[in-house]
Amino acid sequence: MGDIFSNLGLGFGVVFQFVQWTPAFLGGASIPIPVNILLCLIGALVGTLVGVLPGIGTIATVAMLLPITFGLPPVGALIMLAGIYYGAQYGGSTTSILVNIPGEAGSVVTALDGFQMAKKGRAGPALAIAAIGSFFAGCVATVLIALLGAPLTKLALAFGPAEYFSLMVLGLIFAVVLAKGSVLKAIAMIVFGLLLSMVGSDIETGASRMAFNIPELADGLGFATVAMGLFGFAEIIRNLDAGGETDRKLVQEKVTGLMPTRKDLKDSAPAILRGTVLGSLLGILPGGGAVIASFAAYTLEKKISKNPSQFGHGVIQGVAAPESANNAAAQTSFIPLLTLGIPPNAVMALMVGAMTIHGIVPGPQVMQKQPELVWGMIASMWVGNLMLLIINLPLVGIWVRLLRVPYRLMFPAIVVFCSIGIYSVNNAPTDVMLAGAFGLVGYWLIKHDFEPAPLLLGMVLGPLMEENLRRALLISRGDWSVFLTRPLSAVLMAIAAGLLVLAVLPSLRKKRDEVFVESEN
Amino acid sequence: MNATPGQEPVKSFLPKWVRGPQDFIGGVALMAIALFALWASSDLQGMRGFSFGAGTAPRMFGFLLLGLGAAVALVGVFTEGAHLAKYHWRGPLFVSLAILSFAFTIRPMGMIFAAMASFVIAACGTPETRWVETLIVGACLTAFCALLFPYALGLPLQLLPTFLIR
Repeated sequence: MGDIFSNLGLGFGVVFQFVQWTPAFLGGASIPIPVNILLCLIGALVGTLVGVLPGIGTIATVAMLLPITFGLPPVGALIMLAGIYYGAQYGGSTTSILVNIPGEAGSVVTALDGFQMAKKGRAGPALAIAAIGSFFAGCVATVLIALLGAPLTKLALAFGPAEYFSLMVLGLIFAVVLAKGSVLKAIAMIVFGLLLSMVGSDIETGASRMAFNIPELADGLGFATVAMGLFGFAEIIRNLDAGGETDRKLVQEKVTGLMPTRKDLKDSAPAILRGTVLGSLLGILPGGGAVIASFAAYTLEKKISKNPSQFGHGVIQGVAAPESANNAAAQTSFIPLLTLGIPPNAVMALMVGAMTIHGIVPGPQVMQKQPELVWGMIASMWVGNLMLLIINLPLVGIWVRLLRVPYRLMFPAIVVFCSIGIYSVNNAPTDVMLAGAFGLVGYWLIKHDFEPAPLLLGMVLGPLMEENLRRALLISRGDWSVFLTRPLSAVLMAIAAGLLVLAVLPSLRKKRDEVFVESEN
Repeated sequence: MNATPGQEPVKSFLPKWVRGPQDFIGGVALMAIALFALWASSDLQGMRGFSFGAGTAPRMFGFLLLGLGAAVALVGVFTEGAHLAKYHWRGPLFVSLAILSFAFTIRPMGMIFAAMASFVIAACGTPETRWVETLIVGACLTAFCALLFPYALGLPLQLLPTFLIR
């Protein structure tokens, strides 16, 4: 128990670090500046700023803003990224509630009741409950990470290459089962991602693979490049198709009366609690993460509600539960990343990308070697949540005004911003062109109903999977049965196989599709 | 799965026995990508005894994608599915051109020119663009980026054209 407090204490110590700033004009006097808090605050603000733009989801926001953290020291950069992430999520719920354009799958559910509430002139309480629910969920999840982080790191020591490989297979299967749409197509996207991750140099022999003697490809496809192409550029092109203005039915009523009433709070408290528990559990599972958590929480609320017919017409539980679940899951999904080094979803995959750029390899070693980084980040998540609550809520008016910026001015700005961002990663014009190419690929994928998120996950896990597969087979002297004879690995593989079977079974498929269809109508 | 909302299906040029053109074309394209990857990694070394060569994993994933692409295409043949969504040329064309122009001008011309040019080209991507407004916003954005990236974030970006600096 003492461990947890000392760890959290270390984390908050890092976050509340003050740096003495001695500007020349003060004549030698120095002002203490809470650098990391400021970074977190800026991150949360910028994240909301971009995340609130319609049609730009969390992944796209984080990918776009990745370059602005490059100049910072690793701890500061990760803290800022955590801020950006939460800001983006909050921005996403704002757009769902006010414009009914969910930037990503996770906030689709929020739009159901949130937009109805906004139509009734109750956008303020909806936004406030979303923030309060998220904050509560964030608090619980932070404690959970502190509780589970250390023991799970010990579990990681029992993991050999075979177990790692099996766990990643399980994670990918989870991602497939929980994804929207066809299971087959999702698997195809994962394998496409795995194949893309093979471009570059072979880790063991150094042989150049599929790089076609292009020097920029020798190091492999940049993760940020692909992410920005698939999520940034592709989204822009797709939104241009829709004609920009046509589908924006912004709530015209003034957002007044921000505070929820006593009844609102009483109604939503149990929903927030249930959403938090459900979300925390689902977030730990590899491949699960925020999307399924919000769907599950909404379905649960609807099931146990006394009058389920009210859902979809603007009940506050329909906003509170998925938003809390979403945030809890987003936070607990750091657990597999920090303890095992395996990103459970596309956003975490981006975080890995950011960490690698700063020379950090996520995994159990980080927790032991750079505790201030890990705990600082965990503490900053909590601080980021708090920032959203106390700073973003009063700013709702500004975000609403931002929604009125016409798309014809917004999209060229995003194109330029993304281009500069990608260029600044390596100072390589080729990267910009590659991102453009992936933008077209992403546009094509959207047109053919392929989800780009599993592709991204496959791309990040590819090198890890190959390395562990090779090592496992080397240790077992080429015996493939090693994945089934080692007990831990066998259990993971069995769960993966079971899930896959369940996912293609007609009865369950129907139920799964129902959940998604329901949320779309 | 129906066609992506907001997009009317186009007439299929495919034979009648393809019931789900969207999946069929998608699957075939994935197969093509897989075949290309298999060809591109054909010069790499395969298995050496029980240890993986450089080409083993790419080939493994390549064959896997080939199979999955075939499966997606078959689904497109045998089950009723969505039609091909309509492609628009204007948005993709001008956004791509803007990105290309940025990539080609950033080194010789510096960020100010590259950002402004790319902004204006991208703005051609929609018929709704009003030019005066676009130029003003473009100039403001360029100025903002010119302050943000090199100064506030400390990234080494060259602002002015190379010939002016020399």
